[in-house]
Parts: sequence; C-alpha cells; structure tokens
Amino acid sequence: MGKPAVGIFGLTGCAGDQLVILNCEDRLLDLVSLVDIRDFLMASSENDAECSLDVALVEGAVLSNRDAEKLRTIRKRARILVALGTCAVWGGVAAMDRGADRRKLLEEVYGETGLNYDSLPAQALHEIVKVDLNITGCPIEKDQFLTAIANLLNGDVPVYPSYPVCTECRMLENNCLLIEHGEVCCGPITAAGCNARCPEMRVPCVGCRGPAADANPSSFLGMFEEKGIDPRVIATRLRTFAPEGVAQ
Amino acid sequence: MKTIVVEHLARVEGHGGITVELEGDAVSDVRFDVFEGARLLEPLVRGKRYDEVAPALSRICSICSAAHTLTSLKATENAFGVRISPQTELLRELLYRGESIESHALHLFLLALPDYLNYPSATALAADKPDIVLLGLRLKKLGNRIQETIGGRAIHPVNVVPGGFGKVPAVDQLLELRSALIEGMKDSDTVVDLMASLPAAEFCRGNTVYAALLSPNLDSYYAGDEVMIASNGDRSIIRAAEYRELTNEQSVPHSHARHSTFRGKPFMVGSLARLTVKPRRPTGRLVVVRERLQLQAPAGNPMDNNKAQALELVRDMERALETIEQLLREGVKDERPVGVHPRAGTGTAITEAPRGLLIHSYTYDAEGRITSADVITPTALNAASMEMHFRRAVEQCAERDDAVLSKRLQMIARAYDPCISCSVHLVRRR
Repeated sequence: MGKPAVGIFGLTGCAGDQLVILNCEDRLLDLVSLVDIRDFLMASSENDAECSLDVALVEGAVLSNRDAEKLRTIRKRARILVALGTCAVWGGVAAMDRGADRRKLLEEVYGETGLNYDSLPAQALHEIVKVDLNITGCPIEKDQFLTAIANLLNGDVPVYPSYPVCTECRMLENNCLLIEHGEVCCGPITAAGCNARCPEMRVPCVGCRGPAADANPSSFLGMFEEKGIDPRVIATRLRTFAPEGVAQ
Repeated sequence: MKTIVVEHLARVEGHGGITVELEGDAVSDVRFDVFEGARLLEPLVRGKRYDEVAPALSRICSICSAAHTLTSLKATENAFGVRISPQTELLRELLYRGESIESHALHLFLLALPDYLNYPSATALAADKPDIVLLGLRLKKLGNRIQETIGGRAIHPVNVVPGGFGKVPAVDQLLELRSALIEGMKDSDTVVDLMASLPAAEFCRGNTVYAALLSPNLDSYYAGDEVMIASNGDRSIIRAAEYRELTNEQSVPHSHARHSTFRGKPFMVGSLARLTVKPRRPTGRLVVVRERLQLQAPAGNPMDNNKAQALELVRDMERALETIEQLLREGVKDERPVGVHPRAGTGTAITEAPRGLLIHSYTYDAEGRITSADVITPTALNAASMEMHFRRAVEQCAERDDAVLSKRLQMIARAYDPCISCSVHLVRRR
C-alpha cells in the first residue's frame, strides 16, 4: 500500500495550527517520510489541488463564501476530514460575537468599500460539512497532533480527554487561582490536554481550548457568583474562544 | 493589455496573490491582493477587560504571536502608566529574540531558500540536501525553546501578563537556554556561509525609504517609542503618539488601494530597514558577517532582506545570550507582576516584530475596559513598498517571459516575509 495522501489547509485564522506542524522540528522529516503531503500551500509551491486525499487537516474558521467553498471542495476530496484547532472546532476568536452587526463592523474597519467584502459571521467547520475528528487548542498541542497522525496511520482514531483543565491543574498540585485567589479562571469548564499551561504559570485559564465535554457550567457560574465577580467579565471571557450555540 | 497573475502565493503565512497589468511594455497596474477573511478582531475586543486584550489580539497571527502579545501589553501598560521592572524588560526582550530566531529560521530555511536552490519546498530540498533543512530546523527549535521557557508556549505565549510575568523562569531553565544558545552559535558560520553562497538575486534597483524603531540603545526590539525614517540620507523621527503620520492611508495613482506612505513615499520595514536606519555600526562578529554577506546599507535591493535576516539570526542569538548572562549576573528574582491600576486614557506601543514595525494603540475607560483598538502590522506597512518593488521588477526585467516574471515577483514577495493574516487591516482585499 502506498503512503496515505495528506492535505494541510488553512481557512481564515492565524495559521498557528499549521505552524505547530512545522514546529514538530524533531519529527518533521519522519512525518514527511510516513505520509505523502500532496497539498500544503504554506510550505510548498508545488501542490496538487485536485487529487483525492486520505486525510485532510483543516485549520481556521469559515469567514467568507470563499472559505465555505474551499471547505466543501476539501470535504469532497477527503476520506477523513480533521478540524485542527479551536477556530476550526469551535469558531475561535473571530466568532466571539456572532450576533454583532457585521456590516457595521466592516464599514468601521475598512470604510465604505468594506461593505462589498465577501464576509460571513465566523463558523466552525462542522457547521458547514461533516467533520471526522476534532483536535482542539489555540493552538493545538504538538503531542496531540502527533498522536492523531500515529493513530490515523494505524487505522485508529485518537481519544482526547473529556475532563477539564482543572483536573490537570489539580494533578500538578497548583494553588487554585479561582477558589484561593478569586481570579476568573476558565479551568473548570475548558477541555484538558494542555497540561494546565496557564494556571501552571499562575495565569488564569482563558478557555482557549473550548468547552470540556464533562464540564459543569452551572456550578462554575455559581462559584463566580459566590465570589462576587462581575458577570460581564465572565460573559466576555467565556465568549472569547467558543461562542454560544456551536456545540456539536 | 497583458496580465501577470500569481493566483495564490505559496510558502507565506496567509492567503494572498499578485496581479501585474501591462500596456505594451509599460506597467499600468500592480496589486498585492489579500483574500484572507475579515476577522474584525479590533472592534470585537471592545468591552473586554484589560487583561483579556493581549490573549485575544495575539490571535491575529501565530508567527508573530509573541510580538502581538508584547506590543499589546506595552500599549495597555502605557495607557495606565504602568512601569514594568528592569527584569521584566529583559525577559520580554529575550522572548522577542526567541520569536525572531524562530521566525527568521522558518522564513529563511523553509520558505525562502527553496527558491534560490530551485526546489518547490523544504521537504523536497530535504530529500537532496538534508543538512540544510536540519540546520534550519535546529535554529527554529532553539527560538521555540526560548519562547516556551519564557513565554510558556511557542505560539500565543501565556506567561506574559499586564505588569510582568506569571512565573519568572528559574535559574536552571536560564542555564539550559544558555547552553542551547552557545550550541546554536556554533551554527552561525554555516548559516552565513550558506547565505553568502546563494546565487545573486537582484530583480529591482532603486531608492527605497526605510523605517525602524529608534530604541534607546539602538538594539532593542521592545524598548523605545520613536520611529526613524531614512530616505536618501534624510532622517525623520515620528513619536508613537503620532503614528498616524505613518499610516495615513493615502490613495496611490497606480492602484485603488489605501496604502501607508510617509510624506507620499512607500517605505520598507523589517530586518533590512533595521539594519539601514540605525546609525549604530555593527561590532565584533557582525562586522565579519556583514562583509561575508556583502550586505550594503542602504541597499536598494529588497532581496537583501533575506541576508539581513541571516545577520539578525546571528545577532539575536548573541543578544539572547547577553540578556541571559545579565539576568544571571544580576540575580533572577521571583517577582510578581507590578500592580496595574486601570484609568481612562490612550496608550500606543511601537515595537520591532520579526517582519518590522508593529503598532498597537488602545483607548480604555476608567474601569479598564477597552473602548477602541487599532493594530498596524508590518505587512500592512510594507504593502505599498512591496507593490513599488513588483512594479520596478517588471519594468527592469528585459525578458517578457511569464514564468520568469512570476518567479521574480514571488521571490520579492517572499523576501518581504509577508504575514498575510497580520495584514488584513489596511490592505485591499477582494
């Protein structure tokens, strides 16, 4: 059997998840020897933009008709479509206020010509096409990415933690920023897998990995209420990386 | 009429293209097109508390995420009159050097070099010349290691917060970085030899205006709040608060784009600009490096930006090492961030991102909620200059072969190291 054909794509975003792939410095050449990367515009000027793919890795959110069209084409070409990173999985930062008047914002930033731009409110990939695997994170964690590739190469699908960042943070025996210091830490409801990067640095979790499957939001909100934290601060913080109504 | 189109620029960060229109032999229009979706992050962050701004706006771009985070924090701290500690200054400068090492190594080895050596990608290059690619990956990893240690993550740093750092790195960690940098410095001769051996690339000649940060010791990416613009021997200075003089969004006759110009002239920012603008003469090892690279300043050839990046790669390692030595000498203190007391007002910060000047300007209300944010990125500032060089390259090329012209245009674009995710403000989109 030949090497699996892989395509790596970016819709609208910061390219951080593709950069994580390029940041696998020690494994990059191994990776390239195991798969046949056919389409990767960020890294190559010679790409096959039409071939069928065993795996398509797609980062970024859908923010234009152009993005949506590109995504549909990728879906048609790919046996397995992987959403890479918080923007692809949840919508990410560009989706922080999907209710906002987009025309008004476009005009504000780009002037009158902005009104002619091809622009849609940010959407996660699964809102447009079927997604086979989600690897969340802003950006994705290198280890989780490499595990996914190893799993897929062996005909398996990786399983990621359903518990929140809090669990990882407790295992590291950190002092709790929320309970002990009254800081707005999103650790209790955010998907684990980063090994509590922020609280480990005494910095509250900003929720960049999106909601954990096992989270208990009502008890989380209750805790803030008890601490007397301004509900507006909590609301804007929760909306930063994963908007309401995107759950899959 | 004839049109040369680079439909989708490869080996750059983000989505963009080039269009050049010719009437006979004369260039009638040049466009650097950006088709990145509009994320509208600046208006979307309105209403957020001051400590949420940097993590949100860092997401403008991954390769420049430390630059955006650091510049964002500097703007917020300026707005509130926060004075960070000397140790925080040093650690932030160190983080900035880490990002620059990573970014320059990525750009030179994985994105730009394949052009010079006639390969479509670094992976194709690796099949024939693995040593070159492994060298690039080693340096890239070194930069990332600095970012991981100081910033807590290679992309979108988590450890830098208003007033300082979440957790100050331990002495052991700094000693490890020092060893890694000493090891990395051993590669610098190879880098310089390699860059000096590349076939000459001179596709366009002519005067270029350069702009760079005027830092107090002339060698900081982070400190300083004045920009110096060098044009044909003339030097002008713009203060941070007057940054709009650089971003006046004038219409230019050759296209409908709004462009940043200084007194009507496009200007270039980035490694070559930093080298050209700063009156400080290189010292020590850099004198030799500069000679071997045959790097002239001022240089009219934008392709020299690649060489200037190679020189900076060496300088960044030296500077990172010096910074660590200083931290160790002065004793690393486990400081908490200094107190941040929000007040109504505006703060503007200018720094040197790997690709050139980066500006964040914010206004806050009395409770520390952001009411407006303006972000001007190096690629947006470079857009007019890039188009000017596209135009010159086509005008100065004797051949009218599409493939030759297209490759030249792409190489010029890549020499600017454009970061198109970053540029989505100010540049025309379609």
